[in-house]
Amino acid sequence: MNFDLSDDQRDAAAGAREFFTGSVPLSAARAALEGDGVPAPGRKALADIGFLGITVPESAGGAGGSVLDLAVVAEQAGAVLAGPSLVTAARAAVLLEGAPDLAAQLADGSAAIAVLDGPVTGSAPSLDAADATLFLGLDGGALVVGEGEVTPGRPMDATRGLASVRMTSRRVLTEDAGELWARARQVGAVVMAAEDLGAADRAVLMGVDYAQQRQAFGRVIGSYQAVKHMLVDAWVGVDQLRSLVWWAAWAADDSPAELPLAAAAAKAYGAEVAERATETVVQVHGGIGFTWEHDAHLYWRRAKVDRLLLGDAAEHLDAVARLAVAGALG
Amino acid sequence: MDFDDTPEEASFRAHVRSVLQEHASELLHVAPGEPVDARSREAELRDTQRVLAEAGLVGVPWPREYGGQGGTLVQQAIVGQELGRARVPTLINHIGIGMCGPTVIAHGSDDQRSRYLARLLRADDVWCQLFSEPGSGSDLAALRTSAVRDGEDWVVNGQKVWTTLAHVADYGILLTRTDPERPKHAGLTMFVVDMHAPGVTVRPLRQMSGGADFNEVFFDDVRIPDSERLGEPGEGWRVALTTLMNERVAIGGAGSDIGPSPESLTAHARDRLPALAPEQQVLARQAVGRALVASLAARYTGYRRFTTLSQGGLPGPEASAGKLGGTAAARLVADAGVRLLGDEAVLGATADGDDSWQRAQAYVPGIAIAGGTDQVLRNILGERVLGLPPEPRTDKSAPFSSGGRR
Repeated sequence: MNFDLSDDQRDAAAGAREFFTGSVPLSAARAALEGDGVPAPGRKALADIGFLGITVPESAGGAGGSVLDLAVVAEQAGAVLAGPSLVTAARAAVLLEGAPDLAAQLADGSAAIAVLDGPVTGSAPSLDAADATLFLGLDGGALVVGEGEVTPGRPMDATRGLASVRMTSRRVLTEDAGELWARARQVGAVVMAAEDLGAADRAVLMGVDYAQQRQAFGRVIGSYQAVKHMLVDAWVGVDQLRSLVWWAAWAADDSPAELPLAAAAAKAYGAEVAERATETVVQVHGGIGFTWEHDAHLYWRRAKVDRLLLGDAAEHLDAVARLAVAGALG
Repeated sequence: MDFDDTPEEASFRAHVRSVLQEHASELLHVAPGEPVDARSREAELRDTQRVLAEAGLVGVPWPREYGGQGGTLVQQAIVGQELGRARVPTLINHIGIGMCGPTVIAHGSDDQRSRYLARLLRADDVWCQLFSEPGSGSDLAALRTSAVRDGEDWVVNGQKVWTTLAHVADYGILLTRTDPERPKHAGLTMFVVDMHAPGVTVRPLRQMSGGADFNEVFFDDVRIPDSERLGEPGEGWRVALTTLMNERVAIGGAGSDIGPSPESLTAHARDRLPALAPEQQVLARQAVGRALVASLAARYTGYRRFTTLSQGGLPGPEASAGKLGGTAAARLVADAGVRLLGDEAVLGATADGDDSWQRAQAYVPGIAIAGGTDQVLRNILGERVLGLPPEPRTDKSAPFSSGGRR
């Protein structure tokens, strides 16, 4: 057994960390929330460094990498609340398996693509749709592509670029695309769990840093077990989430039969872990953590939004139970 | 990344399977979750371990000179997995193999090693670990059982408690206080004690789950020869740390489930879900899904630790997270299992006499306490992994006899 990243994947994670740390200040998420800017680093920068095409085949101008390759990068994106999401790239790359020309435009950033949830005549708030110009949707069982009219609502987490879309033109890419659509959504769920992993990990670190400095009653608050144990529980969740994300990402390429259960497990657990970690970081900071100026709520917002995107925990826990009972655990 | 054995691991696993098959008629086998009472099945359990030891499957990573195979921790884990798969119960001497033996190897004399270790592996002697006391559980170094030098012997008086297997044990490693005038950690000394010696009294304790796996042990003027000391006088804490580090490797490590497995919950759900009302089924599936996710999260985290072992590393303090996660999962799995029983969940057993889920439920509180309480493990993780400072302590440097006051 070798349940660990490869050296190449570790190098890729380190490179991604450097890229995102350098190009995505948290002030960008804040500015976007205040209607005063757009999510960083933005589509062009993500395309230029090759992150939008990690899972696009080399023949279509991508890197031909695995979902796990993408997940280790997505974790770093999540740590700084980067936008647009690599979930969109991952999901679109699956949907465009039969459309290499569009996949190439996804990878090089020449098309601003979003994937719509819900009816194409009026979608649910969908990830990265706010600034997209080309939309993929499921219409009567067929995968369609086209343009649309975009209606963003007031954002809770502006880095997610959520908007409802009414498609104004539709071209069928794949008839009978139900299975393809489901697999793309599962891969998207895995990558979202990876982004949640990065965000939760960073939130725990912020909490630990503060707990090592802030003094109360004559000593640092991290020495009190009431505070320490909260942070430990959040950290244990992060550590275990990393295991589920790696497993599910590995399954996407190497064991497709395991993907539905593994993706549902990772998504449900990611939602819970990110919520706990980001609520913990607010609580550990006390009053300052509740202020608009502090960054804690930017992470909290990400968790509160992500937990409901691509299916909530109730949907995914039900899927895990049904799949297991049907024999998916062997 | 892959979940397959390396060629070396695969061939070792095949070897283990063939040995278990060859000796199947000489080994005890039990149903999944079936409790095994060490007292009533002592002879079968000892025989089973002896057969396995003679086949080279016990103490695999121990040096050859002490009866081991000079193998790896991964090989040990593979043996554990295959014993589970073949439904051979936990070895009767698991405390001896996991904790007492490694302590004797690290701190015993050549004479002690040659007298004890080979017999321990064959379960000719069963061992127990005499650490906790009524007044010192998590705060182990507060123990009061005294050993006083008298000629070539030490005379021991006091009481130990929660001692797993003491009721069938032949020997134990015993942590005592030999110098109450020194600070609590500095006045301790470790011994090997003969559990059949005059003055040793063992009384089984019944757990809330109904079984009796552990005991209280009384020492009344028990004489231990100085040659049975492990380490120098006053070095007992350092010796005990060897034992506790090995305990951490033994519990909650390489991807083995702490409570009932996710597969057993799945099988139970397949059986029981259809009998519930539709609206109950929805809620039960939520509980089952949540429990399975927690179980899988703990299992795959264990696989990461297994990989560390496989690459020649040793588990660090983060291994404590394995027991915390495993305990949380065990709680959810047991709860979901009981809830699936529907109206029968309020009874101690179902109409057909099966009480496995009720027992699992009543066992969970013990899991959260034994081998490091959830709270102690959180302190270890908070301090050693997250780097948060410990709570201030007033009792660390004062003489133990002062009661912790300077």
